Amino acid sequence: MWWYVAKRLLQTIPVFIGAVAILFLLLQLRQGDPVLNLAGNKPVSQEVRNAIAAQYHLDDPWYSQMFYFIKGALTLDFGNTFSGQPVMDLIKETFPVTVTLAFMALLIDAILGITIGTIAGLNRNGFFDSTALVISLLLISIPIFVLGFVMQLIFGVKLGWTSPTVGGDWTVTDLILPAIVLAIANFAYTIRLTRTSVAENLSADHVRTARAKGLSNRAVVRNHVLRNSLVPVVTYIGINLGSLMAGAVITETIFNVPGIGNAAYQAIQQGQTATVVAIVTFMVMVYVLMSLLVDLIYAVLDPRIRYA
Amino acid sequence: MKGTEPLLKVENLSVGFTAGKQVLTAVDQANLTIYPGQTIAIVGESGSGKSTLAHAVIGLLPGTGRVLGGEIQFEGTDISRSSRSKILALRGSEIGLVPQDPMSNLNPLWKVGFQIKEALVANGVASGHAADKRVIELLEEAGLPDAERRARQYPHEFSGGMRQRALIAMGLAARPKLLIADEPTSALDVTVQKQILDHLDQLTDTLGVAVMLITHDLGLAAERADHLVVMYRGRIVESGPARDILQSPEHPYTKRLVSKAPSLASQRLSSVRARAEVREQAVQTAAEIAEEVAQSDAEFGEGRNDIIVAENLTKIFKLRGAKPWQKVDFAAVDDVSFSLRRGTTTAIVGESGSGKSTVARMVLDLLPPSSGRVLFDGRDVNELKSKSERLRLRRQMQPVFQNPYASLDPLYSIYQSIEEPLRTHDVGTKKERETRVRDLLDKVSLPTTVMSRYPGELSGGQRQRVAIARALALEPEVVICDEAVSALDVLVQAQILELLNDLQAELGLSYLFITHDLAVVRQIADNVIVMQDGKVVESAAVSEVFDNPQKDYTRKLLDAIPGASIELGA
Repeated sequence: MWWYVAKRLLQTIPVFIGAVAILFLLLQLRQGDPVLNLAGNKPVSQEVRNAIAAQYHLDDPWYSQMFYFIKGALTLDFGNTFSGQPVMDLIKETFPVTVTLAFMALLIDAILGITIGTIAGLNRNGFFDSTALVISLLLISIPIFVLGFVMQLIFGVKLGWTSPTVGGDWTVTDLILPAIVLAIANFAYTIRLTRTSVAENLSADHVRTARAKGLSNRAVVRNHVLRNSLVPVVTYIGINLGSLMAGAVITETIFNVPGIGNAAYQAIQQGQTATVVAIVTFMVMVYVLMSLLVDLIYAVLDPRIRYA
Repeated sequence: MKGTEPLLKVENLSVGFTAGKQVLTAVDQANLTIYPGQTIAIVGESGSGKSTLAHAVIGLLPGTGRVLGGEIQFEGTDISRSSRSKILALRGSEIGLVPQDPMSNLNPLWKVGFQIKEALVANGVASGHAADKRVIELLEEAGLPDAERRARQYPHEFSGGMRQRALIAMGLAARPKLLIADEPTSALDVTVQKQILDHLDQLTDTLGVAVMLITHDLGLAAERADHLVVMYRGRIVESGPARDILQSPEHPYTKRLVSKAPSLASQRLSSVRARAEVREQAVQTAAEIAEEVAQSDAEFGEGRNDIIVAENLTKIFKLRGAKPWQKVDFAAVDDVSFSLRRGTTTAIVGESGSGKSTVARMVLDLLPPSSGRVLFDGRDVNELKSKSERLRLRRQMQPVFQNPYASLDPLYSIYQSIEEPLRTHDVGTKKERETRVRDLLDKVSLPTTVMSRYPGELSGGQRQRVAIARALALEPEVVICDEAVSALDVLVQAQILELLNDLQAELGLSYLFITHDLAVVRQIADNVIVMQDGKVVESAAVSEVFDNPQKDYTRKLLDAIPGASIELGA
């Protein structure tokens, strides 16, 4: 087990460096003069130009620039925004909102998705199963921005159950509606995955053996069907947490949630390349860490992985 | 032994599966009786309904299966229609099950000990620490050494035989009165099979458990049970004392079974005589071919007498050691030498892990040997550098693999499968190739109508015939059969062996026949190489190995053939 963890941790290093290297490359490929970009396309004097070039190592060879870039990412030093605020401070401000939102969405996704999927899988081709399948298909086919605006209109504006937008002083209750919207797209897939997995496991040989031992139906489902079925589902949901955080841009914009997605969106609109790159780099790191976590949970659930 | 009251009495039982609106009857009007402590065996080929009958008894019919009529009386009460909770109470504590495939019948996510403990807790035998202790006793009782450590391990850390022992411990955990053993050893090596069955016999004897043994092997059934029930297409065609059935079978199906079962047939001298005739003819044809080869320059080989010579073949694999960064050398094949004479069959026999398949792969030039060499008709296989030379070698040597379900591409029609090698080697025009495929199908006794069908529509035996036809498409001189008949039912197995013999006589083929089953060897082979742990233990002519084995290991293998001690009639 420990060797597996160590190996997995070591594997994270090249993945991270690779991802950051690609980002760096994209940054190099962008058009125009970086100094002019930074100064907002106003003419710059030679002294200022030199100072900026020295500050950002612009005259160094590319590998040394890349080294500084990766070093910055590792020490969480991403430079400043246009307004002079360190990008890390911006991330610190906005990231907790996004994390809360993503975890709430994940919770809804996991609890409802697994429960409904399991019931559907246990009663395959029954009424519940067919209904769940049709509804999940509907949910998959509606784009998130349509769903977001419709839910905002119905629950926020018409019914007034929650405030339609979140804004600066957010509370957890404000985030419920955005979290549901964020969860819905993934949730439909979770139902389908769980359902297939449960139905498949239900006819496995070892399940029949468990019944032959004299176990009650409940014990069989709990110990031999559910646990085995959850292995692929947990992997899927775990990977989703990463994409939930990264993919929150649309939802955060619709509901005006002051999260990292929203910050990234605004930075893009204002053409703040450095800030965008910093946020993206940070999200890549989060994503890599999440998939590491998923792999570890996977090993806990399935003993065969630990010894592989 | 027999009590007055039967333990289990099955009366006119019919079981069916619903497919759409149709009801397919899997078991038709079956009758059988088991007394306390008695062992009976149900014999039949796959699809005969023997497993369905067993599953009906324990109330675990899969999918749409249900009892259509008749009664299953367990200790006097009909359980075929009783409530779910009543059957639940019987499972484990009254009727135990040892399932067929040890690889898929343990949950990979739970420790073995936990899975046995479940059976104890569910049936109220023991719980908590007492149950943990009992689990270790049960594992020891099932013949698993080092039971305390083993109980804490996961199924994937067990070998097949060990898993089967764990499943036996599980089936007997709550001391049932009836144990259903559904092909408990068909996935295991013969020697392991013997050990496990011996142990099971002894255990059920001491505990006084009645056993319903389900098997496809008549020899095994007769050796282990005093009462036989023969099933064919859902019906019980014959039942009675084992010896009576073997010595004077009545039903035509049983007669065929008795005459074809390899474990029984291997004792017959008739199979030796038949083999000698085949060999004589094959060697003659092969000699003619060799002469042609020797004279023509276009052919690949030199027309030697020994078509394949393996010299000191060794294959070393690097395995992970105790520490993650260490590597350990593992000699899968260790200094193996043999030669295959034109027109004859050499069998390589061994248990799983003996390296026999690795030898086959090296001979086929699919795996480079670590040292040693393979000569095909006088030419070193490894020295062939150009692609065209290799292609020519491949034409001369074709494999037939074990699992006909996996070795045919499911998306290729039978015609495409057989024609593919011809196309690869640019043989003939489209028209000629079609004629050739028809010819080949005819040779393996399949109707040409199968050409447009797909592997999924054929039975196992038919598929193996297709695989043989494909192997013969390029007119090879050597066919390497890697467990080519192991996955087939007894009668189908006999047919395929017969076909291989006929083809050998007609075409002068040479076979390298890899198998774990000594029983079939006498029907097909002339020379035997016995392998153990990568080394050759014994190498001699078939009659010598069977009548006068030199090594203990060979003797052990021979002993393990089920039914060896049974006297036969006519």
